[in-house]
Amino acid sequence: MRVLGLETARGLLLTLRHFLRTYVVGARRSLGMRAPGKEGPGSAGIVTVQYPEERRENPERFRVLPVLLYEEETGEVRCTACGICARVCPPQCIWIVQAKGADGKARPKPEEYLVETNVCMNCGMCAEFCPFDAVRMDNRYELAERERRPGDVMRLTDLMVSTRYWARSHPVAWASMEEQRRIRAAAKAVPRGGGLTPPSSGVQTPKSPA
Amino acid sequence: MAGEAGGEAMRAIEEEVRRRVAVLSWRGLLSLGDRAASYGRRSSLWPMQFGLACCAIEMIATAASRFDLARFGSDIFRGSPRQADLMIISGTVTKKMAPVIVRLYDQMAEPKYVMSMGACANGGGPFKEGYNVVSGIDEFLPVDVYVRGCPPTPQALLHGLMELQKRIDGESFIKAWHLRKRPEVPPPVAGPDLVDLRQLPEIRDGLSRSLPQRLKAPKEAPSLRPPAAVTESATGGAVVTARDQRAHEVLASFGAKPAGGAFLVPAARWTEAAVALRDTQGYDYLANLTAADYEGSIEAVYHLYRTKDAGPALAVKVRADRNDPEVPSVTPVWPGAALQEREVFDMFGMRFRGHPGLKRILTWDGFSGWPLRKDFMEPYYDEPRKPYSTRWREGHWVAAEERNRWRRNVLYPADWDPDSLPPSRPCAPECDTELEDDRRLLVSLGPQHPSTHGVFQMRVLLEGERIVDLEPVFGYLHRSHEKLGERNAWLMNMPYTDRLDYFCSMSNNLAYATAVEKLCGMKVPERAEYIRVMMAELTRILNHFMSVGFLLNELGAMFTPMLYALEEREIILDLFEMASGSRMMCNYMRFSGVSADLPAEFMPLFSRLVTERLPRAIEHMDGFLTRSDLVMDRMRGIGVLTPEKAVAWSASGPVLRASGVKYDVRRAEPYSIYDRFEFEVPTYPNGDAYDRYRIRIAEMWQSLRILEQVLKGFPGPGPVVERNQYSIRPPEGEVYHRCENPKGELGFYLVSDGSANPYRYHVRAPSFVNLTALSEMCRGHLLADAVAVLGSLDVMMGEVDR
Repeated sequence: MRVLGLETARGLLLTLRHFLRTYVVGARRSLGMRAPGKEGPGSAGIVTVQYPEERRENPERFRVLPVLLYEEETGEVRCTACGICARVCPPQCIWIVQAKGADGKARPKPEEYLVETNVCMNCGMCAEFCPFDAVRMDNRYELAERERRPGDVMRLTDLMVSTRYWARSHPVAWASMEEQRRIRAAAKAVPRGGGLTPPSSGVQTPKSPA
Repeated sequence: MAGEAGGEAMRAIEEEVRRRVAVLSWRGLLSLGDRAASYGRRSSLWPMQFGLACCAIEMIATAASRFDLARFGSDIFRGSPRQADLMIISGTVTKKMAPVIVRLYDQMAEPKYVMSMGACANGGGPFKEGYNVVSGIDEFLPVDVYVRGCPPTPQALLHGLMELQKRIDGESFIKAWHLRKRPEVPPPVAGPDLVDLRQLPEIRDGLSRSLPQRLKAPKEAPSLRPPAAVTESATGGAVVTARDQRAHEVLASFGAKPAGGAFLVPAARWTEAAVALRDTQGYDYLANLTAADYEGSIEAVYHLYRTKDAGPALAVKVRADRNDPEVPSVTPVWPGAALQEREVFDMFGMRFRGHPGLKRILTWDGFSGWPLRKDFMEPYYDEPRKPYSTRWREGHWVAAEERNRWRRNVLYPADWDPDSLPPSRPCAPECDTELEDDRRLLVSLGPQHPSTHGVFQMRVLLEGERIVDLEPVFGYLHRSHEKLGERNAWLMNMPYTDRLDYFCSMSNNLAYATAVEKLCGMKVPERAEYIRVMMAELTRILNHFMSVGFLLNELGAMFTPMLYALEEREIILDLFEMASGSRMMCNYMRFSGVSADLPAEFMPLFSRLVTERLPRAIEHMDGFLTRSDLVMDRMRGIGVLTPEKAVAWSASGPVLRASGVKYDVRRAEPYSIYDRFEFEVPTYPNGDAYDRYRIRIAEMWQSLRILEQVLKGFPGPGPVVERNQYSIRPPEGEVYHRCENPKGELGFYLVSDGSANPYRYHVRAPSFVNLTALSEMCRGHLLADAVAVLGSLDVMMGEVDR
């Protein structure tokens, strides 16, 4: 049986319930019982994040643009200009010039490293396959600008961040990365026929499937 | 001492008063007025309800309750440009859409502002090299703020809005908008390529003097080497069952020869063979139709199924001469081929004899070139295959624009006469039809229309309010997905699949990953399989919530159900973001696994989501909408698709099942570990819009059932990827693999020539094929019902146009 207007009333009641509930949540929040943007599967509704006064806490893996790490202590850039990031980049937005020594031989350093941010698709593959833990994804997202150029092309100096900066925003990933580096260093310390140990990930191996 | 300090404080206060309050001069008075005007203006920026691509979804999320654009005074999205003062270019600007955008901008009243959102609008984005993409909206419109990110998160968009507000704060009457001379921008015209009319003299001059349009000649031309395994006669290792055997015999009687895993049928007898396959062998469902360009020939490829039973596809190929490709159309046999044949014509220049309306579909009439032919080179062409050698070792950056004479993503045929171009066209390229009957009216809905799910156009022929005919117009979001896909290496396509149907990036990932795994014969660790199913089913729930929200939006329940749907979406996206690092563009799956294990805090949240929150939310949705007068009155008996028609028109997914056809790829050809789960395939008998709504609610319950089983059986810690490598070389061969995506059957047709890049990469998009039946379903209904029918089909333009 359909009663005229019943459905409308039910809909309005639903809205009213949501409206009233915001007061409960708001009261809780002002008492400091719940952090902004932390509503999860357990909470009843969802509460507005009062950006910019408060910001939603992004998860650690949250990624926007790539950055290049340099060692906090020595100031040394981790990147060795191996070019894997430029090769895996789906829209091919990374450009690298390898440094050359005075003798004209290639050195394991980038002379120039450049990311076209208007082409970058924030996919994170450059960081995923970097064998030297040099390229990592940053989580800064407040990147609005009034001019397109030259900010759309990030150069070596724009991309560099210290290991401490990155470790602070990515504690879990940093810990496991350090762990891996220790293991690798330990393996390297044991001489094995004098050859270089290949980096653990991202090795290009043409695979012939079974 | 104290007096001195007091005096200083007084002076400071006086200074402060003079600066902030007291008006001592005309200039001061004016600036006071400036401040008031700017305050008013910046606090009531009304954006236009205008979305282009993926970013538009984040824009909607920004307007919803969690981020609430209303706090900035920008709460009301205006459907008409004349009422709006902010245009958020949210997504990829294609060449087909650019004229429309410029025209819309012209219709906005001053003062007006443009915000460019996301990498694509800023400068072409990941699709920059595509032949149908404009590299940045600033080529045509004056942009006030650029918001970076792909896509920018809602908070990033809000930051952009604040940046715009700051910019407005700096405005003054002295240099007011009404005194500022803005250069008039004529809408560009779609000629053989997009023509910016301001550049016309330059183009005329350049072409008449035959100046090279590419400033740097491409190093390498694309190769046409056909993959051996596909062309040689071999069965390709496909298992031949007795049922297939009979079909093979039938095909052989028409002179068909096995080639690869398919049958090569002579073009002359293909129509007869098709009728025989349909009528005697029960192959009633044409799932996929595409083509591939080989040396000397173009092959049309057909993948056929029987809806009565399960099993893999029967692949049929018809070969045509590359110089003059023509094959008979199968639209009379399987009407579902109609749009797919048009797509093949558009992309390959292959004609289908007997097709009722063969014309360009994704590009426009008059576009020059056949984009998916291997020798087609885009204006920004660099090398045939990625990775480009220019990027590393000596990677001195040259912007793609620098390599082109027109500094745009355009290239004109050498023999083109710019004067043959009409100065401007009344509207989008395809609406110039003469009406014989003056009682009839041609209405164009879209490509900018509040209820067309993004940039989709419906040309509706009306008699009064009744729809006599309806023609869907596509391509406003055609981002050259397949062309880019063939330039990309195999893994590079993974993040691109995120951008097909941008609600379902996880299930798109899954479909592509499983397709390549099938091609290579890879194994996936147990834990990864569970994670994959979990993500795919969460995606289904998310998508169905959103589709119901959008549908109600279009029925006139403006935004309320959608807000509740968006709430659940946010909660699910939080989990996606936690696992993959991005809300929408997850890029989470890899060949033989997933990119990273779940973080420690994931499972408890997931468990609460599945056991508490989602059941409650679905129940809410169901309880308030399913029996609602509005929903029932507007949708029952609308857009009926009978079971026979649904199959004939190649509808898939919820659309097919709402017509009573029990066909689900998860059951018919199980992939991943779906064969281990218990779930039903719900169907509804009527095939109207209301059933298409109900089926989504029913499917959400089934997805929840699967998720509960995932939760129970979730394996302990272990590897999540067999071998994560960035370069793979699948063996020569081809595969058609399909998955049951929330919107229907998502298929990938992949041809490998044994190299690190796919030779052919085709996406069988469910939304696109489901739209084939749209005009059939709308005929005879009221105009307002067409909107309901479109909503009930649940299409996503990123996937329709690719």
